[in-house]
Amino acid sequence: MTEAEIRQEYEILDRAKRDSKHFGILYEKYFDRIFNFIYRQTDDEDLTADLCSQTFLNALNNLNRFEFRGLPLSAWFYRIAANEVNKHYRKKKTDRVFSLEEIRIKELMDQGNEGWDEDLIKQLLVYFKELPTDMLEVLELRFFEDKDFKEIAFILDITESGAKMRTYRALDRLRKQFNLSIKYDGKK
Amino acid sequence: MARNDIRLRRQRMTTGNIARHRNYGDIMERHERDQKWKRMFKVFIYFLIAAFLTIILIIVLRWEQRENKDLNANTKKAIELASPPMLS
Repeated sequence: MTEAEIRQEYEILDRAKRDSKHFGILYEKYFDRIFNFIYRQTDDEDLTADLCSQTFLNALNNLNRFEFRGLPLSAWFYRIAANEVNKHYRKKKTDRVFSLEEIRIKELMDQGNEGWDEDLIKQLLVYFKELPTDMLEVLELRFFEDKDFKEIAFILDITESGAKMRTYRALDRLRKQFNLSIKYDGKK
Repeated sequence: MARNDIRLRRQRMTTGNIARHRNYGDIMERHERDQKWKRMFKVFIYFLIAAFLTIILIIVLRWEQRENKDLNANTKKAIELASPPMLS
């Protein structure tokens, strides 16, 4: 996202502060992304719809508290959504769900002509299951939502170096365990 | 360490599926309701502050009145004690 686009979004946000009807533009723009982000962490459509509405409602109710930090506005929505998901799991005390799209995993793992079989997928799922939640959160934002480390740090309320460290650790383990090459930052 | 349930989805959510859950009107309605509650809460808090200040003011005024009364009574007593007894 370019700086001009970010500025443009903030202008919309400023208008929305004066008249909440302008918030509709941002809602339309980000609804799908936030929905997918939450859905990946719940695997339940109705629950996702509830948490998603709550996310946008919280954003709308707290427009005046928002501070410009040079990040795209979407990061703020993701942060609220992540908080809503955490709140939900704290309340329900159930296992946290990560529902990953098979197609996206295949895109990320550069398999070339080698076999991409069911066994490998099963092993990957076991590997992901063993990862701590904070690492999975970072991986989801980095590889499924294409967020940069600055945004990830803001969304998860951690430091940028912390986000990097978690990602690289997870990737190193993945590379060693599966002997896979992963499309990442132009490196393999 | 928290337990995670990792699932694999064959299909991506389609835009059509997601669109079923879009309801901006509902969000605006809930927002307006929230704002109304917020305003009512604010008015209630202002009312409480005003009531508290009024009560404090009344207490201070009454205390002052009582102090004045006591002072007057003491002064009167002091004058009476200081003046020589009337000889008849």
